[in-house]
Amino acid sequence: MSESTRLREPRTTTPMVPSSASGKACCHTGPQQTAEADAPVVALVGAPNTGKSTLFNALTGSRVTMGNWPGTTVEVSRGVWPPTLASPTCGRENCTCDHNQDPLAITVLDLPGAYSLDAHSPDEQLTRGLLQDGPVDERPDLCVVTVDASRLAHGLYLVAQIRELATRVIVAVTMSDIAAQREVTVDTALLSQALGCQVVATDPRRRTGLHALATAVRAALGDPVPDPRPTPITDDALVLDDDRFTWLSDAAEHATVAPGHDRLTLSDKVDRWVTAPVAGPLLFLAVMWIVFQLTTTVAAPLQDALDRLFSGPVSGWVTSLLTLVHLDGTWVEGLLVNGLVAGVGMLLTFVPLMALMFLLLALLEDSGYLARAAVVTDRLMRTMGLPGRAFLPLIVGFGCNVPAISATRILPDARQRLLTVLLVPFTSCSARLTVFVMLGTVFFRPNAGTAVFGMYVASVALVVLIGLLLRRTLWRTMGAEPLIIDLPAYHVPTLRLTTAVVWQRLRGFLKTASGIIVATVCAVWLLQSIPTTGGQAFGQVPVEDSVYGVVARTIAPAFAPAGFDQWQTASALLVGFVAKEAVISSWAQTYATEQPQPGQAGMLGDHIRAAFEQSSGGHPLPAVLAFMVFLLAYTPCVATLAAQRREVGLRWTIFGVAIQLATAWLLAVAVFQIGRLFW
Amino acid sequence: MSGPLHLVLDEITAGTPTLAAIARRTGLSDDVVRAAVDHLVRAGRITSTELSLGCPTDGCGTCPSSDGCSLPASLGARRPGLVSLSLTRRIA
Repeated sequence: MSESTRLREPRTTTPMVPSSASGKACCHTGPQQTAEADAPVVALVGAPNTGKSTLFNALTGSRVTMGNWPGTTVEVSRGVWPPTLASPTCGRENCTCDHNQDPLAITVLDLPGAYSLDAHSPDEQLTRGLLQDGPVDERPDLCVVTVDASRLAHGLYLVAQIRELATRVIVAVTMSDIAAQREVTVDTALLSQALGCQVVATDPRRRTGLHALATAVRAALGDPVPDPRPTPITDDALVLDDDRFTWLSDAAEHATVAPGHDRLTLSDKVDRWVTAPVAGPLLFLAVMWIVFQLTTTVAAPLQDALDRLFSGPVSGWVTSLLTLVHLDGTWVEGLLVNGLVAGVGMLLTFVPLMALMFLLLALLEDSGYLARAAVVTDRLMRTMGLPGRAFLPLIVGFGCNVPAISATRILPDARQRLLTVLLVPFTSCSARLTVFVMLGTVFFRPNAGTAVFGMYVASVALVVLIGLLLRRTLWRTMGAEPLIIDLPAYHVPTLRLTTAVVWQRLRGFLKTASGIIVATVCAVWLLQSIPTTGGQAFGQVPVEDSVYGVVARTIAPAFAPAGFDQWQTASALLVGFVAKEAVISSWAQTYATEQPQPGQAGMLGDHIRAAFEQSSGGHPLPAVLAFMVFLLAYTPCVATLAAQRREVGLRWTIFGVAIQLATAWLLAVAVFQIGRLFW
Repeated sequence: MSGPLHLVLDEITAGTPTLAAIARRTGLSDDVVRAAVDHLVRAGRITSTELSLGCPTDGCGTCPSSDGCSLPASLGARRPGLVSLSLTRRIA
């Protein structure tokens, strides 16, 4: 049995219901009827979500069977469009009466949603098989194509293809209410003229337009099969597709009335500036400068107050408590006061700052601006000959390098992936931000925000320069693919969503940072407690004579050309190799251990300023800038290394670390040596 | 004369950054441009990738960085639809 035979075979038996007194089935009594074997067959086709199945249910009611089409896994619904519903002569909308004439019932097939007859999916294969590939005499007698009025062009491609077949077509325009909300009106008469077939506006949800559809269907079934739409003779599928799009574009333009659509919306006008080649990057830089300036200016007093709280009263309270239980002067005091209170307390001083930063970024993101910034960044990347799509992992890297490394998987080319993995560590993550802000407030106040902003600009410059260097040496043949971005609409940020995002990010930062800091504080405390010379007890050794101090003093001379060869500074970089979150806490721990005087507020900043003053020979500003550049460029953390190893292997990870350390050292030396000439 | 598909492909090749800009430069309606892009994606001539600025939309279970990651899991799912479209290299 052929599919077509099955197609015409009545497969449903619906129960007879009581008829009206006149013997005529009437809508008021709910007539049921079965289509005859030779009943005309109407196929409902259309893209998904165009109201096709809703129309099918409106036409057939409960007279439906569902099942897989023979030989396929595609589900097809078959129903009976009873003559009462299909009667064109009844004057009452939605009437199911057949009191005017007694036409045949119609078999209706609800074919699966299909955008085209191109057979990209099993659903489209089935639709194509029934409408195009099967013998002409076995095809449905008529196709009703449902088209969403709010997305007219999307549905007309299928209409174009069906119009090329020798079959009757009626277009059912649905979703007119949604189109009206978007100020779009479809003139069905003009559309009918342009398409060369009947067009009926229907709303199956409200059961309107069904009568007009029935009229059109009955009329079309009585007409001969129309001539197919002529198409160019070509083997080039794109040329043929383009011919269809030219046809549908003309039809859509001819029949669509959208008075406001010729005008530029406010969003369009804003986008023209925000994504412009020159104004876009400048605006982006200005916005980010405002973010950093606001963050450091507003949060600084709160940060200072918290710093005084933890280095003063809190440390004092803990010391007093330990004195009460006779543990003062022991290693417990060293661990608790100089370690945990100093380290964790320093982390907590950054809570207002991070909260404000996350709030501002969330506002930018939820408003849709960051997506525009992505366009700007993408263009910059491509201008430099770097893979455009690499901007995404790099943007993620400004939050945290670890997921950014994983995000490189969106790059289709292995060499692009490798290049981006090597570049991600140069993006300034939020952990480095804490160090920049702290040093900015100590050395560059009231321009701390500008200093931090400068580090972010330096980070972008590093990514571009290192990328260009690698691109011109190791990956000369790598191609850059064109890429466009579908921008989301601008939104007014909502308080609930923004608050939730800020809290989630802050919680994530605190959770990760506190875990790292507690572990690092304990490790640093242990190393600071182990003596390297005889005659000194565990926990009673001066820091510079501990394992920690000796290792730091060993590597410190390497930083002399960069102006920061104090062993305390070098030790912070050593800890920072593990995680940047622990840099400040280890600094605080080291200086607290050196001078355990918890009553003196703000000591850390003074210690650091004195250290840079001394190590730089009177040029602390270039030295601290050199230190910040080194911190920016060298290895972010061991978690990033693990992610790199997972993505590109050990050999390239080691290569990446070598590039990071070499770049960091060379840049730091250059910044200090040049800077000392002016400052 | 080039039809809408060729116009859209030419704009993508030329580096026009957004769909709105393509509509503006080609004079096609936004609806036709989106329909053309959707068709080209289905035909395999354009690759469409949803870009997440945070986490995968289907949760940390599918994220290779779930251990040691500081980003909150729910961020990826609520992002507005930032989608990148790039030309697919075709073997002649």
